[in-house]
Amino acid sequence: MNEMDCGEVREILPDFAAKRIETQGSVSVEAHLSSCEDCRSELGLIQMLQAASPVVPVLLADRVASAVRTSKRSAHRPWSGIAAAAVVLLALGVGMSRDRADVMGGIVFESDLETEEGELWLSEDGVLAGDLWIEGLSDETLMKLLAELESEGVV
Amino acid sequence: MDNLRSAREISDAELVEQASSGDDGAFDTLVRRHYASAYRVALSVTRRDDVAQDVVQDAFVKAFSALVSFRGDSSFRTWMMTVTANEARATLRKRVRWSESSIEAAGPLEAGGPNPAEQVVTVQESTRARAMLDSLPEKQRLAISARIDDGLSFREIGALVGSSEGAARVNYFHGIRRLRELMA
Repeated sequence: MNEMDCGEVREILPDFAAKRIETQGSVSVEAHLSSCEDCRSELGLIQMLQAASPVVPVLLADRVASAVRTSKRSAHRPWSGIAAAAVVLLALGVGMSRDRADVMGGIVFESDLETEEGELWLSEDGVLAGDLWIEGLSDETLMKLLAELESEGVV
Repeated sequence: MDNLRSAREISDAELVEQASSGDDGAFDTLVRRHYASAYRVALSVTRRDDVAQDVVQDAFVKAFSALVSFRGDSSFRTWMMTVTANEARATLRKRVRWSESSIEAAGPLEAGGPNPAEQVVTVQESTRARAMLDSLPEKQRLAISARIDDGLSFREIGALVGSSEGAARVNYFHGIRRLRELMA
């Protein structure tokens, strides 16, 4: 067996300490260490460093894997942002339409039954609002509404 | 038959190929194989656990988004560790003000040197050795950590720290010698 010198031993001491080298190499290193205090001292330092190797956070792998998957999905759907914007716009449009329907319903209800005496519901706002629902009423209904208004002295 | 092989038996090169084709399982396996090495590199550079974890996450996301740039000249692990080291340095540059204050504050060396009572306690000695390691320059820290904790060759360490194989060897042995002096 060829004897190893200090330089050769120190080159592989980390692997020896971590048992990453084959048996034959280990035997050669051990033979050198038995007679070299300096290399033993260095081995002691390496073993101390390995003993206090940083503890890797156990949940880090899950966190990283999740981030990679999320990023990957985003990258594979380049239109997702535009699609999301389109959905938002569509929702806004529907909302506006629903708002308008609600307004119309409210006005019809109020004008038919709950108009208080003296209330200027045919003010500028009322006319504008009325325009939204008057268009859909039949002539018969319009005449009835006009009669109600006349009877209440509004017009 | 390939389907019967466990993930452990599949090489990194095969996993990279599968991941490049969009295989989520291959991505996951690569992450779980190499996140610990990446974390140690990030910690060596940043010296802060919370920052190191963020760095590892960002490094993997960036690495996988640019997987086509991995040409296989080095092992995937070395490439991933190098990407992480670069990400860690970039993060530190963005946090210059923090690094000037917190890193100094977190410096492991205590005034007055080691307590003699600690010298007989192996665990405390190990902890102190690690603390001393943290006090070394970045390239020496990285070289020692990569060599001792991850078993990288000096050629791989050279790629990791952006130097030649010879320079990596010098960084490692100079760092070890300095640590022995500090621990004496």
